[in-house]
Amino acid sequence: MADTSEKVGLLRVLGPAHVWALGVGIVLVGEYMGWNFGVGKGGAYAALIACWFAGILYTCVAMIDSEVTSTVAAAGGQYTQANHIVGALMAFNVGLYLVFAYTMLEAANAWTVGFLVQTVGGLAGHEGTLNDDPFIVLSIMFLAWLNYRGVLATLTFNLVITAFAFVAIILLFLMTAPFTAPDLMQHAELMSGQAALPYGWLGILAAMHFGLWYYLGIEGTTQAAEEVRSPARSLPFGTLAGIMTLVIAATLTWFVCVGLMPWEYLGTAGTPLFDAARLSGSSFLVWLLGIGTLFATLASANGCINDASRAWFSMGRDRYLPSWFGAVHPKYRTPYRAIIFLVPIALLFALKLPLDQIITFSILSGLLGYTFMPLNMIMFRRKWPLDTIKRGYVHPFHPIPAILLLALCAVTYFAVFLGYGTQLVAMVGFYVVASLWFHFWRYRFVNRGAQFTMPWPKPKGY
Amino acid sequence: MAKYTPPVQSKLGQIIDVIVLLALSIGSLYIPLIYGLSGSAKVTTVVENPTWESLGQNEAMVKQWNALGFTDPAAAHDLITTRFDYSFSWLNLAFMAVVLIGYFFMLIKLSDKEYREVISEKFER
Amino acid sequence: MMDFWDYLEYAAWAGSAIFGLLIVADWIKTDTTYSEEMLTSSREGELEAMTEQHKL
Repeated sequence: MADTSEKVGLLRVLGPAHVWALGVGIVLVGEYMGWNFGVGKGGAYAALIACWFAGILYTCVAMIDSEVTSTVAAAGGQYTQANHIVGALMAFNVGLYLVFAYTMLEAANAWTVGFLVQTVGGLAGHEGTLNDDPFIVLSIMFLAWLNYRGVLATLTFNLVITAFAFVAIILLFLMTAPFTAPDLMQHAELMSGQAALPYGWLGILAAMHFGLWYYLGIEGTTQAAEEVRSPARSLPFGTLAGIMTLVIAATLTWFVCVGLMPWEYLGTAGTPLFDAARLSGSSFLVWLLGIGTLFATLASANGCINDASRAWFSMGRDRYLPSWFGAVHPKYRTPYRAIIFLVPIALLFALKLPLDQIITFSILSGLLGYTFMPLNMIMFRRKWPLDTIKRGYVHPFHPIPAILLLALCAVTYFAVFLGYGTQLVAMVGFYVVASLWFHFWRYRFVNRGAQFTMPWPKPKGY
Repeated sequence: MAKYTPPVQSKLGQIIDVIVLLALSIGSLYIPLIYGLSGSAKVTTVVENPTWESLGQNEAMVKQWNALGFTDPAAAHDLITTRFDYSFSWLNLAFMAVVLIGYFFMLIKLSDKEYREVISEKFER
Repeated sequence: MMDFWDYLEYAAWAGSAIFGLLIVADWIKTDTTYSEEMLTSSREGELEAMTEQHKL
């Protein structure tokens, strides 16, 4: 690097709280919408069991991710990890998983903003149905603009609105729980008879599909690796604190919602926590959870734009995609072309598709990514055993988390297969074609040795 | 091993590559939707002249339905009687498993080939 | 009869257009002001040296 003044890169400005806000901010919306489709797939008990199993799955994800990412600290997260540990084609696929999972999640969030405004408009006495399109477009445009303007402001904004949305869930629980409102919750009655396990044991498996939605996106913390001040410390801390926050919020959400709504309603509701607040009879809670829903969706969409654009940018920077995308804004230090490019794609899906299918697209891409992680972890420990390179965090009990994660992924594939099997095969078909395209055409534009940027010794066995 | 120098891609080539990728991804996401293959199979068992009792709802459930704005059992009928159809064929399941395992196997095999090139260029200069 | 919510719809369209224009205007300005080499000069792993010398 002879002349650094002619170069621009991302800025290291974030602390652990921002990492928490990025991780939890993306995910917390799952408590406000989407998780309840799991109730629809298997009933209330099934959703709780799925919630905890998914919690175990994500604890494995967080542990594995923390170890690898505290060592491979670069924007692109799992994409860069795959590049250093498995190889180029894997990295290309992982990069696409990330971009799809986050862009679809962003679309789902914008969809929810539109639906919420529509609902509130209806409750407030608007005649006819409010058009939700302008609100979907506005939320995406506003957040794209915010992201364009710089990462620190973006994630500080996320910290504030995520904290608000989390506190709203805690307050909802405290104000509706049996010790403050003894007769409000009706768990025993609402979950009796046919409502206990409407689909039997198969329903529990099926519910795993949307069980992921309680936590999907927590692994996005790794995307901030080039913008965090001390990645080796902040990333594991922020990620693990995030997963704990989410397990708490998910359990409270389940408890409140199934105690208030018949499962048949809950299983298809668009904004379940907001509905729970309406049923509590407290107008304070209605406002709180209404704003909480709005904030949670915005925080999530915001984080998604951040993460999807980092992944797209990294691929452009390495020539996996046209190098044009690898540009950094000289003043705001953001991957601005990647941010712009993903806006119309998010709009296309948010405006045209039903929510459960957008979510399924997102979950499928996420799931393929989680299948990659244990493979990645096993190869990482094999190619660089613990005594060869310094790791910021070493996760315990290897290889049990990796094997457990792989097993839970298999269960979830089966859950998705129940009802959404064609979508799964079509999606894998896409990745197969894209992989062939990459291997036989696109890879010729990529530098070979320059992809490996970590100061590590040669991997074992090569 | 000789250092590999990649060709520089023209502006037009870059644009074509983006279009190919976009067409692939949007196509694969939309095609199942257009042909109605996506989404889940659901069946609705019709209950004639539904009452809360015939829909299997107890007193507490009825109270909450009312609070949610469903005062008439007929309005809640579709929500209550529509169920997922979880019947599946083992053949389809096996097909899916083969597709998935084959996909990951291909990824690891081809990646490893590329990875060996990267490592040899990086460490054996 | 136009009510508050109808105006809100128009306001949302207007807001979207404004944010869109702000982004596109800055994008064009940036791409025409700086050279392509400089804009795409970021490299993985070169960040440490960069952040040492930049001024906030």
